[in-house]
Amino acid sequence: MAGLYGVLDTSGSALDTFKTWMAALGDNVANVNTIKRTSESAFQARLIEVRERAGGGVEVAGVDFSNPEGTIVYDPTSPLADAKGEVRAPAVEMSDQMTSMIAAQRGYQLNLAVIDRAREAYQAALQIGK
Amino acid sequence: MAIPLVGSATSAALTSLQQAQSAASTAGTSAAEANSSFGDMVSQGIQSLDATQQSADKLALQAATGDLSDMHDYLIAATKASLATDLTVAVRNKAVDSFNEIMRMQI
Repeated sequence: MAGLYGVLDTSGSALDTFKTWMAALGDNVANVNTIKRTSESAFQARLIEVRERAGGGVEVAGVDFSNPEGTIVYDPTSPLADAKGEVRAPAVEMSDQMTSMIAAQRGYQLNLAVIDRAREAYQAALQIGK
Repeated sequence: MAIPLVGSATSAALTSLQQAQSAASTAGTSAAEANSSFGDMVSQGIQSLDATQQSADKLALQAATGDLSDMHDYLIAATKASLATDLTVAVRNKAVDSFNEIMRMQI
């Protein structure tokens, strides 16, 4: 049946991919304030790698992580601060995350629209000869 | 004169039935199975419909128990099951219509 409902499978794979991307972005945004000691590595933002799927569609190829160095921030009031009064903040840029979130959301919505149109088209085809 | 007419009408009816059969078999199964009988084609189509419905049922159960990881997976499976059911019903209706048309034939 894969050939008969090919559009549904193709768009379904895109929905899976965009959902994975949104989950990664959500995790990154959730940890935007995760401060670590300078002796530890910073929170690493997740970056999703995608590739085209054989036979149509898209799939997640793997996950990359951002720089574990993060950014050193001077915050002597923090209980995690070292002798120099510095802590390690994650290298997560909120504006980048939010623009990516818009792209992921729009991509998800687009593929839902494709599925809806395909379903309407299939159902119209069933009316042939009636 | 009447007998050749009946014969040509029957062959025309048979031809249209075969056309419906080949159209149905390309819709339901692969082209390699186009030579199998109409009954085989229908039972294969119903088996694949059953498989589609079972996968949708499995995801519906996961949705009910909270085990579903992706809600779109269930909705796509449900859409597929619904479309496959509609297609099977359409093929069956066409077959029954053809049969009724033959049964109405004056002999």
